[in-house]
Order: sequence, then C-alpha cells, then structure tokens
Amino acid sequence: MSTPASSSTIGPRGGALATASSERPRRSAATWLAILFFAGALLFGGIALALGDVFYLRLATEALIFGGLALSVDLLLGRVGLLPLGQALFFGLGAYVSALVLKNWSDSFWLALGVTLAFSAVAGLIGGLIAIRAKGVYFALISFGLAQVLSKVVYNTRELGASDGIIGVPSANIMWGVNSATPSGFFLVVLAFIGALYLVLRYLMDTPVGRQLDAIRTNEHRVSFLGEDPWRYKLGAFVAAACIAGCSGALYPMLRGFVSPELMFFQVSGNAVINVIVGGTGTLIGPLYGSAILTGLRSVVGSFTTHHHIVIGVLFVLVVILMPRGLIGYATPALQRWLDARRNQKENR
Amino acid sequence: MNPILSVKGISVQFGALKAVQDVSFEAQPGKITAVIGPNGAGKSSLFNLISGAIRPSSGSVRFDGEDVTGRAPHQLLRYGLSRSFQITNLFFELPVRENLRLAAQFLEQGRGLFRPLARSQTAAARVDELLGQFDLRNKADELAGYLSHGEQRRLEIAVSLASRPRMLLLDEPTQGMSHGDTRETESLIRGLSHNHGLSILLVEHDVDLVMQLSDFVVVMHQGQKLAEGTPAQVRANPAVQAAYFGEKL
Repeated sequence: MSTPASSSTIGPRGGALATASSERPRRSAATWLAILFFAGALLFGGIALALGDVFYLRLATEALIFGGLALSVDLLLGRVGLLPLGQALFFGLGAYVSALVLKNWSDSFWLALGVTLAFSAVAGLIGGLIAIRAKGVYFALISFGLAQVLSKVVYNTRELGASDGIIGVPSANIMWGVNSATPSGFFLVVLAFIGALYLVLRYLMDTPVGRQLDAIRTNEHRVSFLGEDPWRYKLGAFVAAACIAGCSGALYPMLRGFVSPELMFFQVSGNAVINVIVGGTGTLIGPLYGSAILTGLRSVVGSFTTHHHIVIGVLFVLVVILMPRGLIGYATPALQRWLDARRNQKENR
Repeated sequence: MNPILSVKGISVQFGALKAVQDVSFEAQPGKITAVIGPNGAGKSSLFNLISGAIRPSSGSVRFDGEDVTGRAPHQLLRYGLSRSFQITNLFFELPVRENLRLAAQFLEQGRGLFRPLARSQTAAARVDELLGQFDLRNKADELAGYLSHGEQRRLEIAVSLASRPRMLLLDEPTQGMSHGDTRETESLIRGLSHNHGLSILLVEHDVDLVMQLSDFVVVMHQGQKLAEGTPAQVRANPAVQAAYFGEKL
C-alpha cells in the first residue's frame, strides 16, 4: 500500500507534496512562473524608467490592463467552463464610468474605481441573470449579443460622445502625489492592482468556492446532487468576472485620456479570449503572460505592417495546435518535473 | 414505525407518455426497499421524481414526515436524501480524493466558503474514512476517469454517501458489473443498511440481487405499481410472473 506522503506521483495541479523534513517552504512551478512574471515586470519598469522611456512603459501598462480583462475571462472560461465572447461589455462599461467620474465629478482614482465597481456589479448581476441560464455555445452567443447591444447603444448616444467617445479625460490622483499621468508611477499602480487581483483569485481557487467552480466545469449536473446549487456559484463567478473586467477597464481612460465605443467591440472581447488561450486557460498567470506577449506583438508588429492580425492569427493557430493548453499550461508541468527531479537529486545525495 | 419515505399517488407525463401513473409506496427506516420492473416500466422516472431530478405532475413525496415534493436535489440533501447514478456520474477530470472532498464539503456547511481547504478538517476526515471503506486509498490521487468500471461504481456510491445521508437512493448500483463485483457491491449495500442503519431505496434490473438483498419490493409495470411486498410475497404473485413473461423469479 502506498501512502500519499511517500508516493512520488504529481497531482494534476502539479502540487508538490511538502514533506516535514523541509525547512524552506517549497514553491510550485505555478508560483515560480508568477514570481517570474511580476519580477520581470518590475525589472522592465526599472529599465524603462532609467532610459527615460514613455512609449513602452505606457504600452506595458496597457498590456497589464488588458491582462485584468483576460483574468476575468479566465475565471469564466478556465474555472466555470463558460466562454464569454462579450467580456468587453464590462471592460468598456468600466472605462466609460471611470471616464465620466474623472471628467465630471472628481479626479480621485479611488472614487472612479469605487463607482465603477458598483456599476460593474449591477451590470454583472443583470447580465448574469440573462446569460448563465444558457450553456456552451448559447452562453457564448448571449454574452456576445449583450456586448453588441450595449456597444451600439453607446455608439449612438450623443451624450456619451457617440462614435468619438469621450476625450480629454483628466489624469487621476492616486495618493502621495502619484498621478496616472506619471508613466512609471501609474505602471507600478496598475502592476500592484493586477498582482493583487491575481493573488486573490489564486487564493480563491483553493477554497471550497473555487473548487466548486471546478466541479461545475467538469460535471455541473452532479454538483446539485452534492448539496450545492450550481446556479448561485455561476452567477457569483459571472458578477466577480464583471467586476474584474470593469475595474480593469476603469484604468484605461486614466492611462490613455480617452474612451471610445471600440472598447466594447468584439475585437476587445476576442483578443481577451485569445490572450487567455495562448497564455494557458485556467492557469491565471497564463492570461497575464498572454496579454503581455500579444499586446507587445500587436504593437511592435503593427509598427512594421498594418497586417499584424495575420501574424497574431498564425501564432494563435500554432499555439492551439502545438500547445493546446497554452504557453503556461505547457510550461508549468515541464518546470514542475524539473523542480521535482532537482529536489530528488538533492535529497538522495 | 413511521416510514422514512412515503410516496403518494405520484404521476408524471412526458407529452402523451404517462411514464409514472399514480404510484404509492412506503420505505421503512433502516431497511432496503427495491423497485423492480421490466424495461420501460417507469422505474427510472419514479427514481428521478423522488430524487428531485424531475418534478411530478401530481402526487406527493414525504421524507421523514416533511413534504419534499418537487424540491431541487440540493435541497433534498439537506433533509438527508442522497442518490447515486446508474450511468456513472463523477468528476472524471478530477482526482478521486477531490471527488470525495467535493461531496464531503457538505458536512462543513455554514463554516465559510472562503477559507483555505486545509481548514476543512471534517471533510478531510470523511474523505479519508471513505477511501478506506471503499478500498480506494491507493487510487486517491488518480483521476476518476482513469479508474476501472468497478472502481468508478464504488466511487459513485462513496460520493453519494459522503454527506452522511439518512437515506440513499441507488440507481442500478451493479449495472455493467462483473459477477464478482456484483457480489461485492451486494455485501457493501447490505453492510450499509445493517451496520450503519442507512435506509436504502434501490432500482435494480438484476432480479436475483433484489430478491436476496431487499426487505421490501415494489414491482412496476407500464408506469404503474403492479405489486408490493416481501421478496417471497412478490415472487408468489401471479401478476408479477405474467409481467416478467416467465422470467424465473
């Protein structure tokens, strides 16, 4: 009889079973990849600041903001198993609410974020009540349809600037004189925001709530026979995803000084899904890598050719064929094997 | 003794098809009650009506004196009524341990859904107990989808029991099992009833198994109750013999 403690099998999450003899806590591959991402981002910020760069710092901030949107897609797609094709609805809504608050009420970062959070939660609740009645393709199409409707309404509303959107949004005051107009300062604020989102989501995934979402993805029907109403969990996840997307969107006008109806268009929703799939669905850190890599590529390739969609499209197809679990979904188990092998070597010595 | 489960005049209709018509029976606590009948007799529909999977058109279901007619499955579990499935219905992409943990989490209700899992010690203890009881300890870290059919059937029952229900509804527990596995399952079910005092209602195709195992048998035929009684009474019933067309009872 093998006991779990002595067996060398790796769980499906690649979780290393820590033994009592170890003094340092052992980090899993997923943790190392997360550390790598955030350390890399800090290093990038430091270099950019030293070189006095603005363009790439702003681009990186934008990548992180879209990373927040990707996290919200991953919560739905990677955990609950719902494919949202209209997540830009909440992202764009957040951007508009934040822009209106900053322009008309106050330049407070926290007020803009707070009002956006409230709006996103309500919109998420309404959208969720409509969308999560359906599953699979139907859910995807309903979420797509909702986003289409709202983007057309905004596009045709003169008070919201119609097709021009809202321009001249003042920069937001964060604290201690840090302002969203400071490229390096705002980069750090957004990085901290995304880092906090990541940590909270990662924590939640190892609580009964998070595991219930996994259960719903694998076999929703059985969940109700285990004493839980899957509907409530799905609605909760949908509202949470709306809030994450909305708050990420709220950062956009602070960075760029404008919002436009394009933020709600399918392009944005579709890119978010691609970022998640290329990065690694269900890995949480993968979508952040995906957003960073693809936002960078779109911009860099876009400066050489207007046909950058072709490059992104080919890359997407290649990743889906060669690494169906995405870059991080592929890298995590490989790194975990390497870490385990190295540890075994050390212990045997 | 008061019945733990009492079904009165229950009916359900799918379009023109009357799947279950005016069926009434009672199940006693701590006993094994079986529903048998030929294919299409309405056994599974009756089962789905009791377990909340479908709503009855008319009639009532009482569990331990409380009216639970048409309650959703997750509500029925709060009363202590759990069910297993004929077609194995597990979380195939999750490990065996996690399948059981999800089910055992019911025991931690109201203790905070946002705590780390390591704090759910009641659930963890229950999972450990079940792994031992169902001889799945050395499969604990395997994905449920990789288990053999017999192991999956065992896990299926273990998952249904994780919440410590008072009554278990078993839908064809030995479906597709080898002879040896069937014998094992039979003694397992008997043990649950005799040693743990669990009330059991099972729907079964295997007439021999039912006759050996059950305290009380309900025979269904064309959506209606044909007969009921102890296995010996049912076996002697000419209407039952006719319905089974000479199948040896």
